[in-house]
Amino acid sequence: MQANVGAVAATVPQQEERARRDARHDRLFSGILMACALLVLACLLGAAGATLWGGRHAFGTFGWHFLFSSAWDPGSDTYGALVPVYGTLMTSLIALVIAVPISFGVALYLSEVAPPWLRTPVASAIELLAGIPSIIYGMWGLFIFAPFFADHIKPWLTNYLGNKPDDGKLSWVAQHTFLGKLFGSDYPFGASILTAGIVLAVMIIPFISSVMREVFQTVPSRLKESAYALGSSTWEVSWDIVLPYTRSAVIGGIFLGLGRALGETMAVTFVLGNAMQLSPSILDPGASIASTIANQFSEAAGLQKSTLMALAFLLFVVTFIVLLIARWMLRQLAHKEGR
Amino acid sequence: MTESAAAGIHPQSAATPAPIAPTKLKVRDLHFYYNGFHALKGINMDIPEKKVTAIIGPSGCGKSTLLRIFNRIYAIYPKLEAKGEIVLDGENILDSSYSMNRLRSKVGMVFQKPVPFPMTIFENVAYGIRHHEKLSRADMEIRVEQALRSAALWDEVKDKLKQSALGLSGGQQQRLCIARGIALKPEVLLLDEPTSALDPIATGRIEQLVEELKSEYTIVIVTHNMQQAARCSDLTAFMYLGELIEFDRTEQIFTKPGKKQTEDYITGRFG
Repeated sequence: MQANVGAVAATVPQQEERARRDARHDRLFSGILMACALLVLACLLGAAGATLWGGRHAFGTFGWHFLFSSAWDPGSDTYGALVPVYGTLMTSLIALVIAVPISFGVALYLSEVAPPWLRTPVASAIELLAGIPSIIYGMWGLFIFAPFFADHIKPWLTNYLGNKPDDGKLSWVAQHTFLGKLFGSDYPFGASILTAGIVLAVMIIPFISSVMREVFQTVPSRLKESAYALGSSTWEVSWDIVLPYTRSAVIGGIFLGLGRALGETMAVTFVLGNAMQLSPSILDPGASIASTIANQFSEAAGLQKSTLMALAFLLFVVTFIVLLIARWMLRQLAHKEGR
Repeated sequence: MTESAAAGIHPQSAATPAPIAPTKLKVRDLHFYYNGFHALKGINMDIPEKKVTAIIGPSGCGKSTLLRIFNRIYAIYPKLEAKGEIVLDGENILDSSYSMNRLRSKVGMVFQKPVPFPMTIFENVAYGIRHHEKLSRADMEIRVEQALRSAALWDEVKDKLKQSALGLSGGQQQRLCIARGIALKPEVLLLDEPTSALDPIATGRIEQLVEELKSEYTIVIVTHNMQQAARCSDLTAFMYLGELIEFDRTEQIFTKPGKKQTEDYITGRFG
């Protein structure tokens, strides 16, 4: 008995030593983790800071006017960001408009409708699609899709919807709706804002649909069964139960795709036409921030180089604003759902 | 197939008690297969109208499976197959020409765990009604109120109908699910272990509710809780390994069971 008490007493200093060591290790561990996290933050701030610093001449020369000017003249060294910013936003918007409904269909088919033996192969195919390098999409867009678009799709759009048809006869749609301006073009080639939007859509469909598919699978089957038990059809279960249940994650997936579309460079550079002009028509060529930088950086110097840096900074800002909007939307939804 | 023939093939399953009410659901020689596994082996039973029929038995005996055939909810999954007949008001509901939408407006179901939809309390109840009837806003409000009143939930939620149903307690959510089911004015109400996720007080309220609802609905309740079956059912069916062992009036089953297996189960010797 006596010996036992002694033995226990003897271990107390050891326990204290062990506790001190644990505390030291934990401090070290959390320090390393924090360093990892801070490194990411430092990279972000560094990149943003470097582009802002590099673009100081452009911002200093043009001021706020830089944001709203569509001028782009290397001869007189006058530049404005409006054309590339508009091109970036418009191509991404077109990509979303096309990609979101298709991704929704793909994801719903795979999670709710498809027979089990088909689910895994199609899902892996979609993931493979997400892994294709963007230069390949660019080549496909330039050599295959853009000519096809110019030969088969564009004539139909300009003649039946646009305000610059080949035979000069305006359709009803062109006369009475905004579509006339949107689809009016006399540029004969396939490269255009719409082409870039479609190629971008193909690129982001795998991202959005695999996120959607994954979150659709998290809907408890008893929730779906309850809806079926009330007489709902598969469509009603998907639209009324599955989508609201996964709404915030679905929005997250859409913004992930949007983020990729905004910054996409190579594929867009190939099919956008790289014309520094502001046209109301999405069948005319345009430019995006990333494509402008990729095209002009190698031969730019002085103010033009600073302008490209300033554009890079604007891309940061645009992406940041998009993320903020996503956050804000998610918070609004959370409020609405009372969670 | 005639009743006597069915009884002749599966004498052990054809334990139908003397009728206490007209038959609402007539089950004849029902077999069920899960990916080829023979889960129900020739069930025959007559479920009486506007009575509470409890189905008891150990886990895996097929009691929930049987219940899930009554509204064909199993049909949303592939590779499940039911053979035999279930006659509701003279028509075989297993017939592929029997409309799913019609079946589900006649046979409502409440599941094991409360599953409110991610919408407001009002919409949870109105949702099912919209699949079957076009009602004006005012009529819909009346129907929703009626359903919530019959589910003994109205007084607790009448001031927060526009709030999310996810904010209700477990017992309230389950009563909301019952309200959602009876809002369709079904004829049969299936309850699949409706209180297994609830505390004793909430359970008591649900059992009381079952007692009140049986004047209007034919109720089939699956439960693993024998006291619950004894407390709130008129008839009790005991199932074991995919077969219907015994089906009789509840007091008969719990006082003088006819089969040794039933007695062993209700006295807790296995299960």
